[in-house]
Amino acid sequence: MNAVRIAWRITRLNIRAQMEYRVEFLLNIAIGAIWQVSVIVFATVLLARFTGMGGWDSSDVLLIPATRMLAHGLFVLFLGRLHGVGRFIQEGIIDIYLVRPLPVHRQVQLQYFPTNAIGDLTVAAGLMAGALSRSQLDWNAGRITYLLACLLGGMLLEAALFTTVACASLRFPAADYWGRWLEELLGTFGSYPLNVLPKAVGGLLTFGLPLAFVAYFPAAVLTGHGHDTGVPYWLAAASPLVGLLAYAAARLLWRWSLDHYTGVNG
Amino acid sequence: MAVLHAWRAARVTPLGELHAPPRMTAVLIRLTVQVVLVASLWSGLYAHSGPTAGLSREQAITYAVLAVLASRLRELDQYAGRDSVLQHMHFGTIVYWYLRPLPPARYHALRALGEQVYGAAWALAGYAVCLAVGVVEPPKSAAVAGVFLVSLLLGQLILYFIMLLIDQWCFWMLRNNSAVLILIFAQNLLSGVYAPLWFFPDWFRTMSGFLPFQATLSVPLSLYIGRIRLADAGGQLAIQAGWVVVLFLVTRFLWRRAARRVVSQGG
Repeated sequence: MNAVRIAWRITRLNIRAQMEYRVEFLLNIAIGAIWQVSVIVFATVLLARFTGMGGWDSSDVLLIPATRMLAHGLFVLFLGRLHGVGRFIQEGIIDIYLVRPLPVHRQVQLQYFPTNAIGDLTVAAGLMAGALSRSQLDWNAGRITYLLACLLGGMLLEAALFTTVACASLRFPAADYWGRWLEELLGTFGSYPLNVLPKAVGGLLTFGLPLAFVAYFPAAVLTGHGHDTGVPYWLAAASPLVGLLAYAAARLLWRWSLDHYTGVNG
Repeated sequence: MAVLHAWRAARVTPLGELHAPPRMTAVLIRLTVQVVLVASLWSGLYAHSGPTAGLSREQAITYAVLAVLASRLRELDQYAGRDSVLQHMHFGTIVYWYLRPLPPARYHALRALGEQVYGAAWALAGYAVCLAVGVVEPPKSAAVAGVFLVSLLLGQLILYFIMLLIDQWCFWMLRNNSAVLILIFAQNLLSGVYAPLWFFPDWFRTMSGFLPFQATLSVPLSLYIGRIRLADAGGQLAIQAGWVVVLFLVTRFLWRRAARRVVSQGG
């Protein structure tokens, strides 16, 4: 309880600090929204030109970017500061975190308030509302609960991927570079049915870089395409669990990496 | 002597990259995977349809792969080099740019030139491999290749001036993080990196025609794949050259204004 109170107080201070630069604050909200709009534009342009993508209806395909973007928005809001770990290491900030009583991971998350998450979540919620309104599916309690679980699973899976990059940054600060690419890959290839890609490439994006579990598999299960994903149905349906397990494993890796971290002073 | 100074300034970032093997490995892997993914995506999309938006399957793949390679031209981690305008403004070290014998505008341009030449080496190597394995098509004729090179050069100049404008933004706003991100978005979307502009609705293409971004990448790549005919190239090159002149004048004016805002040791 005390930890939550401290986190909330620091977050309030962070919001005030962000508002110190008013234009930057507003631009930050805008950038979150604009970034998400770019994903929508890309997806809708392709949808309009190549109808029936991967054998999916347009309304079903829309559920993929909507799920991915909402999961991404939640990740940015709650766990997104992992992006900056490489920079924190280069600037020696992480060494200061190590001597404070608060856990390092929590201090990283409380480094600044992610203003862009406001824009991210606003556009993502809008797209999800649009996708649900166009959907022909029966949105009963079971489906909605599964969708919510998938959003949380997607958030955790994305956090697991970026935590792994952060762990690599503790050893090689230049590994931060991978984080930017990862974000780009998730944005570009996480927003439509992966069955349009050759099997080997789809397999790479499922088992090499598991972005299929963020939105493609959940949307496939929800829309009745769960048997055509190239993986067993139970595995596609277990996407939220995959996210949870991946995040738990990533946090163990983080703890191990932090134990083995040596700063410039040894 | 001036050439020696120019050489020393231009090679700073490339040298930094050459001394960071993990980053170079990352660039190689990223470029390879991105090319494979992009080629697979467009090939998959065209699997069940014929020419779309005036582009055949081969043209679309060539365009998309070249866009990935071209994005390498300016994608260095300037932040790691501690020499971005944003960092200098934040730490107050921008004043050193004004105390050196080299004018800030020239120093900035030389650093960018070094980065672009280094990035071009990557792009060229990638192009040679893609051409050899048949992922991209060669230009239709020597004339097309020549016009493409001129257009690409003008496009890179426009891109440099746009990036410079964002750097100059720091002199007034102190921070440019969001502006940089918005620029990257605008550049990627409006220059046709995400998807060729030919796939977008007419109103979108008309709007982007009034902005400089499409002149950075969409025009040279469309010339390369033959979507813009050689007969229409003159007009497009003239528009690009116009943007270069306008942006050069604006940024030169802003350099002068920015100098008045820099204070040393309290003024």
